[in-house]
Amino acid sequence: MTKRVLIIDDANLVRMYYRDALQRAGYETAEAMNGLEALEYLLAQPADLLIVDVNMPTMDGLTFLRALRRQALPLAATPALVTSTEAAQVDINAARAAGANFYLVKPIAQDLFLRYVALLCGGAPQGASR
Amino acid sequence: MTVRVDETGSIRLEGTCQIDDAELLQRLLLAHPAAAVDWRDCEHAHTALIQLILAARRTVRGPSRVPFLEKWIAPHFHALAP
Amino acid sequence: MNEFLEQFLIESRELVEQATGDLLALEESPQDHDRLDSAFRAFHTLKGAARIVEFDAMGRVLHAAEEMLVAVRAGEHPVTADLISDCLSSLDQVVQWLDAIETGGDLPTVAATTVDALLQRFEKADARLAPAPVATGWAEPLAALHPSARTAIRYAPDEGCFFRGEDPLSLLERVPGLLALDLQPTAPWPDLVAIDPFACKLVIVALSTAPPGEIASLLTTAAGQVQILALAADAFSSEAQALLQAQLLLVADREEENFTGRFAAAGNVVANVLRAQGRASHADALLRLVAAGDADGFAAALQNVLRGDDEEAGEIARAPQDVVARALRVEVERIDALVKLTGELTVVKNAVGHASRLAQGGADPTALAPLLKEQHALLDRLVSELQRSVLGIRVLPLRHVFQRFPKLVREMSASLGKPVRLLMEGEATEADKAIVEALFEPLLHVLRNALDHGIEPAESRAKAGKTAVATVLLQAVRDGEHVVVEVRDDGGGVDLDRVRRVAETRGIASADALQAMDEASLLELLFAPGFSTASQVTDISGRGVGMDAVRAAVARLGGHVSITSTAGHGTSVRFLLPFTLMMSRVMTVESGGQVFGIPFESILETVRIPRAQITQIGAAHAFVLRNQTVPLVDLAAALDLRGADEVRSDEANIVVTSFAGQLGAIEVDRFGERLDVMLKSMDGLLAGMGGVAGTTLLGDGRVLIVLDVQALLR
Repeated sequence: MTKRVLIIDDANLVRMYYRDALQRAGYETAEAMNGLEALEYLLAQPADLLIVDVNMPTMDGLTFLRALRRQALPLAATPALVTSTEAAQVDINAARAAGANFYLVKPIAQDLFLRYVALLCGGAPQGASR
Repeated sequence: MTVRVDETGSIRLEGTCQIDDAELLQRLLLAHPAAAVDWRDCEHAHTALIQLILAARRTVRGPSRVPFLEKWIAPHFHALAP
Repeated sequence: MNEFLEQFLIESRELVEQATGDLLALEESPQDHDRLDSAFRAFHTLKGAARIVEFDAMGRVLHAAEEMLVAVRAGEHPVTADLISDCLSSLDQVVQWLDAIETGGDLPTVAATTVDALLQRFEKADARLAPAPVATGWAEPLAALHPSARTAIRYAPDEGCFFRGEDPLSLLERVPGLLALDLQPTAPWPDLVAIDPFACKLVIVALSTAPPGEIASLLTTAAGQVQILALAADAFSSEAQALLQAQLLLVADREEENFTGRFAAAGNVVANVLRAQGRASHADALLRLVAAGDADGFAAALQNVLRGDDEEAGEIARAPQDVVARALRVEVERIDALVKLTGELTVVKNAVGHASRLAQGGADPTALAPLLKEQHALLDRLVSELQRSVLGIRVLPLRHVFQRFPKLVREMSASLGKPVRLLMEGEATEADKAIVEALFEPLLHVLRNALDHGIEPAESRAKAGKTAVATVLLQAVRDGEHVVVEVRDDGGGVDLDRVRRVAETRGIASADALQAMDEASLLELLFAPGFSTASQVTDISGRGVGMDAVRAAVARLGGHVSITSTAGHGTSVRFLLPFTLMMSRVMTVESGGQVFGIPFESILETVRIPRAQITQIGAAHAFVLRNQTVPLVDLAAALDLRGADEVRSDEANIVVTSFAGQLGAIEVDRFGERLDVMLKSMDGLLAGMGGVAGTTLLGDGRVLIVLDVQALLR
C-alpha cells in the first residue's frame, strides 16, 4: 500500500529536499505552500503523514495544526511531524500544544528523517528502491 | 478404520487419527515400503503418527484439510504432487 | 552547544551515576534483581541517548555492556568482579567522553582503538563466562530469519509423554502468531522397524509474534518440557522510543480544547510505530482504548509497552472493560444525615404553605410576619446544613492518595541506592474528592525530587553526621478552610549554586540577575517553565514534568505550592489547598480588549440599547429600563482601559445586575460565554485591586479576572 505524505513548507528548496527523499524511498508525495493550502488539500483527500514547517505566510504551521486537530475524525487524527530551525524548548512545547506528534530540528539527516517517517506511517513502503 | 491401504496402494489417513493408530501405521509402512501416505481426508494426526511418517521418509499426498498441518507440518515431509 | 547535546549531557551524567551505584550494589549482593534491572535500564537508556545524538562509539560500547547484563539477567552468566569492573570501565570511558563534549561543545573524535579495546574486554568476558549454555543457540538460527518474532519456544517432549495422553503438536496448534515451526528428531532416525511408535523422539522449535507470557500460559500442561525465550530484548529503536514518549506528552494535557483530535492523532502515531516495530497486537489494543476515549488507560498501557512489561502489556487488551465507573463510596451516616434533613425541610415547606394559605384568606400581614420570619430562619439553617452535608459527600481522606506512596518510595529508594524511610502523618485528613484524586501526580513528582536531588548520597550524609537512612515526611493537616500537604526531607537542602548554574544555562535568567537574587527568589526559579531537566524530543528517560507542571496542577485546584530550604538540613515543599472546590458560574464579557468574568448570580439580564438613550447625570451615566432609572458604569472606563479617542459603537451592550435590591448596569464591549469556574481569592499583586472578586485559571492557562459587581457599582 502506498503511503501519501503531504509536505507543507513555503520554501521550494525544502520541499524539494523532502520530496526527493520521500519519493526515492517509495512514498507518494503532495505539497502545500502554507497551512491554508494544506487544509484545502486535506479536506479533499487524506494523507498518511504531514510534514509541517512552522513559519509560513498566510497560515503558519501551528495555526494550521490547531485548526486540523479541531476537524472531524479521521482528518483530525492525521499524524503530523513538525520540522523547524528553532530548537528552543518553548518552540517545541508550542508545537506540541498545537497538536504536533513530533518535532525535529532542521537540518535533518536524510536517513534519520526517513526512519522517523517510516515509523510515523506504520512502516516503510513495500518495494522501495534503496 | 482410520488408517488403511487403499486401492491405489497408498496408505490413507482418514478422519481423526489417534495414538492408537500408531502401531498399525508402523506395520503398514513396513509392509508397503514404497507406498506414499495420503492424508487429504485426515482431520487430525497425532504427533506419534507424524513422527512415524518423518522417520519412514515417506512422500505424503496433500493438501491436508487442516490448516495447521498443511502450513506447519507438511513442509517437513517429502511432498508428492496431488 | 545545541540543546540536544546539553540535554544529553545532563541525562547521561544522571544515568552514569545511577548505573555506577547499581553496579556497586550488585557486586555486594549479586542476587539483587532490582539492582540488576536498574543497572540494565540505565545502560539501555544511556545507549538510547547516545544513538539519539548519533554518538556511535558510545552506543557501541554501551551496547556491548548491556548485552552482558542481558546475559546476567537471563541467568546465563554469574555476576563476577570482572564483569562489574568491565561495566564500570565502560562507564568511566563514557564520563571522559561527556567531559570532552562539555569542554569541546561537540561530539569528540574517538579513536577506534579505544572502542575496540573496550569491546574486546566484553568479548573476552563473553568467552570466559559462557560455558556453552544449553539455553540459547537453539533459537538464533530460526529467529534470524524472522525479525518480528517475539517469543521462541523449544518443546522437547518426554519420551513417555504419549502414555500420559499428551499430543505435543496439537498443543502447539493453539499457539497464536506462529511464524515458524521446526521438527527435529532427538537422534537420527533408526530403521523404521526399530522405532517404538509410543515413544516421542521429537524436538520442536517454534517462533511466535505473541508475547512470552501469553504462550507460557497456553503451554502450562507441558511445563518442564518447554523452554520459552523472549526475543527482541531491544525491540524498540531509539527513534521509535522517542516517538512513543512524545505521544505520551501529547496526551498528558487533557485541558486543551482540541484534545479529541490530539488524542486520536497520538493514537494513530502510536499504532503506526508499534506496527512498524512488529507489535500489531499492541497497536490494536491501544487503538481500542483510543476508540473508547480512555486517555488514562491509553497512557498507562503505552507506558507498559515502553517499559517492555509484557505481562502488563498483555493486559492492555482488557483495559477498556476495566474503566472505573465514576461512582462514589459514601458512608451510611452521611446518607442518614441527608434523609433527616429532607424530613426537616418537608416540615418547613408545610409551615410555609400554611402561612401562604393564611395570607390568601386575608390574614393580617403583621400577624403573619413573625411566622414567616421564624420559618425563614429555620430554612436558612437547613439549607446551610444541606450544603455542608452535600460537600461532605464529596470528601475523601488523603489516605486515598498517600497509601500508594510507600511502595513507590521504596522502589525509588532502591533504584537510586539511597536508603529512605517514608513517614506519613495526617492520612485521615479530608479534602474534596477531586482535590485528593488530583494530588497523586504532583506529590509523586515532589517525592521523586526529594529522593533524587534532596537526599544526599550516603558518603555525604556520613560526613555531615546524619543517619544513613534518610527521612522523608509526608504530612497533611487541616487549617481552617485549607488543607496543607507538605513533603519534607532531611537532605542537604536546595543547592542554590546549582540552581544558578542551571537557570543560566537554560536561559531563564542572566548571570548578573542570578547573582543579585536572594534565596527566596532563587527557590522560586525551580518553578520556572523550562527549569526542569525534562525535555520533549530527547525525553528518553521518560520523566515528563517539572516543578512548573506541579505548580500549574495545584493552581488548577485553586491551591499554591511553595518551597523552603535550609542548607544542610533539608527541603520542604508545601501545598496549600482549598478544602472544597467551589465552582461558580460566570459569564465572560470583553472590555477594552480584555476578558472578564461576571458572577452569574448577580446578573439579571443583558440588554442592547441605542447609545442615544444613555444620559449623563453629573459625572455618572444612567439609562431607563422599563420605567426605572438604572445607573450605568462603563467597564473599560472604570478599569482605565478605554482609549481616549476611541470610536464607540451606536449600540451599547449592557449587563443589568442587582445588589441589595438595587439595580445597576455595566456596559461592556462584547458578551461572551457561560463558564463554570473555580474561583480563587486574590493574592499577590492583585490583592489590593478594587472591583475584583477573584481569579480563575482557564483551561488554556489564561487567568480570568472575575469582577466584584457590588464594589464596581458602589
